[in-house]
Amino acid sequence: MTRPGLQQKILIYLLLAIVLIVFLTPIYLIASSSVKPSPIMFQRPPAFFFTPTLEHYQDLFGMRPFGKFILNSLIVALGSTAFSLTIGSLAAYAISRIRHKRMNDVAFWILSMRMFPPIAVVVPYYIIFKATGLLDTPFALIIVYSTANIPLTVWLMKGFFDEVPTALEEAAAVDGYGLLATFWRVTLPLAAPGLAVSAVFCFIFSWNEFLFALMLTGSNAQTATVAVMSFWSSDAVQWGRIMAGSFIILIPGVIFVLTCQRWLVRGLTMGSVK
Amino acid sequence: MSAITLNNVIKRYGAVQVVHGVDLDIEQGEFVVLLGPSGCGKTTTLRMVAGLEDVSGGELSIGGRVVNDVAPKDRGVAMVFQNYALYPHMTVRQNMEFALRPMKLPKAEVDRRIGDTAEILGLSELLARRPAQLSGGQRQRVAMGRAMVRTPDVFLFDEPLSNLDAKLRTQVRWEIGKLHQRLGTTVLYVTHDQVEAMTLADKIVIMRDGHVEQVGTPEEVYGNPRTTFVATFIGSPSMNMIEARVDSGRLVAAGLSAAIPARFADKVSEGQAVTLGIRPVELKIASGDEPGAMQAQVEVTEYLGNEALLDLRVGSHELVAEVPADQRADPGDMIHIRLNEAAIHLFDTASGQSLAH
Amino acid sequence: MAYIRKRNRRIFLIFLLPAMLVLFLTTIYPMIYAGYLSFRSYDLAKLFVPRVFVGWSNYAEVIGSSEFIHSLITTFKLMAMTLSVQLVLGVGIALIVTQKLPGMPLARTLLMIPMMISPVIVGLVWLFLYFPELGYLNYFLSFLGIESIPWITSTNWALWAIAIADIWQWTPFVMMGTAAALQSLSPEPYEAAMIDGNSRWDVFTRVTLPQLKPVLVSLMFLRAIDAFKIYDIIFVLTKGGPGDSTEVLSMFIYRQSFTFWRMGVGAAASFVSLVIIVVLITLFFKSLQREQHA
Repeated sequence: MTRPGLQQKILIYLLLAIVLIVFLTPIYLIASSSVKPSPIMFQRPPAFFFTPTLEHYQDLFGMRPFGKFILNSLIVALGSTAFSLTIGSLAAYAISRIRHKRMNDVAFWILSMRMFPPIAVVVPYYIIFKATGLLDTPFALIIVYSTANIPLTVWLMKGFFDEVPTALEEAAAVDGYGLLATFWRVTLPLAAPGLAVSAVFCFIFSWNEFLFALMLTGSNAQTATVAVMSFWSSDAVQWGRIMAGSFIILIPGVIFVLTCQRWLVRGLTMGSVK
Repeated sequence: MSAITLNNVIKRYGAVQVVHGVDLDIEQGEFVVLLGPSGCGKTTTLRMVAGLEDVSGGELSIGGRVVNDVAPKDRGVAMVFQNYALYPHMTVRQNMEFALRPMKLPKAEVDRRIGDTAEILGLSELLARRPAQLSGGQRQRVAMGRAMVRTPDVFLFDEPLSNLDAKLRTQVRWEIGKLHQRLGTTVLYVTHDQVEAMTLADKIVIMRDGHVEQVGTPEEVYGNPRTTFVATFIGSPSMNMIEARVDSGRLVAAGLSAAIPARFADKVSEGQAVTLGIRPVELKIASGDEPGAMQAQVEVTEYLGNEALLDLRVGSHELVAEVPADQRADPGDMIHIRLNEAAIHLFDTASGQSLAH
Repeated sequence: MAYIRKRNRRIFLIFLLPAMLVLFLTTIYPMIYAGYLSFRSYDLAKLFVPRVFVGWSNYAEVIGSSEFIHSLITTFKLMAMTLSVQLVLGVGIALIVTQKLPGMPLARTLLMIPMMISPVIVGLVWLFLYFPELGYLNYFLSFLGIESIPWITSTNWALWAIAIADIWQWTPFVMMGTAAALQSLSPEPYEAAMIDGNSRWDVFTRVTLPQLKPVLVSLMFLRAIDAFKIYDIIFVLTKGGPGDSTEVLSMFIYRQSFTFWRMGVGAAASFVSLVIIVVLITLFFKSLQREQHA
């Protein structure tokens, strides 16, 4: 494209500054409010320079359950990630390698499973888990999150498997390896970046999820997102604690964006952008 | 005992047949090249031998054993792939080790084989590198090394030189030839490059559209092509082909005529449509009064150093002559040429088959 | 390839099986179950009323209720508000951040952060900004001469409050997709237009937009599918209120099922929403396939 002149450059950076301020201010507010003393929380103009305090974090972890809620979030997120990765990448490999005209339909069917509104199935889940005694256990959430994570893994991993040249697998076949050995020793190591990306997506999705966690857990298996929301009660809003909890919850997502943003496009746009 | 036998081998993809009954006998230690234009079925044939494609019909034997339903890993073959198919996540040494693992050899033997092979191929310094850190020629050698360490009964090469630049190609070609002399293993080699075929092969198999056109030594396919396809495919520049008719004991084509060489005299019949083939080097510059001399107009001259190629118009025919550089003429010149009668090939136009047999 | 296809097909089907099975059990089965529930009276508030087959009456109740129709309209209204703004803003920002200037890659990365934040947290931070009397948003806006707006307490503004939070979180998505598409465009048409002397606007509308269109269509479908499911942000900000001004379809289902414990009615509404989403998904895949063939 044409190289912008000086005036245009100034205009572009001005617009960019506005955009960045609008999109980053809420994040800044979470971070700063989480260490802002309660009395100046809503001070006008907002205090940019203040002595940071850890009181909200102490509050948060002083009431012991929040540590437990984070642990619940971790268990659920890691459990669902491991489960989805295992069966998702196997299925992705099959879809990538079977050359059949119906395979595209199978791939789309699996992907569409991710797009259904959670609210539409939350009632049946509630009843089924209640009947089986799984309500308010991490296991219930691991299963439920996997319904979203498996399609995502299949979709992402299929792309990565497609990129492993079949000649490598053929070479292994001639060299004396069966299908499973070839998959394990040649294909999977080469698709390792895909496994990492899928794992991160699965983890973040599970970690961030709220609706199912709210409906399907109680005091036992409650996750961090639900816990943070519970600080919001009509009589006294504990903004400091909410912001401290929010900050902790948003850390994995931010790290993900900063470290592997180039995979985000692939993971979020479902193949509509190459 | 033959190393590899193909008996009426057929390959079908659904309703489409791409290899139509190939018969081929490869002797122990022979270097056989499958040659043909792209899409002729040569790679498919090679892949059937490797076991990477199922055989749809006929019988394929390796070392006297029918292997139609034997998995690639149990066929005792090793293959060098077109793009080398080196495992990018493994070093050169690991690539070779990986090929040996299924054989479950003792560690010392594995090390010995890798050491020896690396020595032969000049890879000893590169064993710790990954494929990405190697040049094209080095990768090529690793691919061969990976095949060699297994000491297979048969080497399969799938266009191994197509990704190398011209200079390197000549060198690696020479190395492959030397290696074959040294190891004496049976080789089945696929290429579309006739120079590779001519220089390397004991036996060339020329394929077209899934059929075998001719099997023979390089000398045979060059000197005695069985079909017009082989005649034009082998040799560069291509053989000149002139549509002619047998008329009163002579070969007559628009604007030129020639006596029928004695060796074809009883092979043709009056009025038969024949194709006269003559290699560019067998078109000689003549003086106007020589018997059989024909007038030709020079249209383009390509100077190649030692020789020159002349694009000539003779009557309504366009012919190419390869002449010593000092005899070249300039575009627009009228010259005289004659056919070296001893070098004339005749084919039946309808069937495309040579009349020499 | 053929080797892999024929000999190993059975193994591949075994690879595929667990995923299919799990997805069937965890998605299709609950949906069927929802279908079953939708034909029964399943009223947890009336414990002693037997749960009997009631035919289409749940559906009749859902479709006939003005609340349901209202929630459906609200859902599509919100969808229209968010999608249109996200499209214009997303493409605009993409045009800025794809300029070959220093700092742009970093800006692109930073702008992606909102997408990866939990929707609850998004809801909470916007609640913090909207909060009556205290929230900073009205304070910031006062510098632009805008008078205090009752964001979440007024039926006129609450839907916009939700839309803004969603726009904030998902404009980066449109930006990211558009930027990726922009960067994959071939430079040649631009060079040709430069030589031919076309104006920037001409180039954008005649060269860039037509090439972006398939990507934008797909991105909008993905946003539409997500917008249809929107729940968390509303739950945090307004819980469907004030009044029923922000009661979208998922809030309606939630309230029927878990506030009034009328699971049968909730299930019937769920099923209606499934039908709509299936239409959206099908259209999305159609557009995706068209794009892949093009």
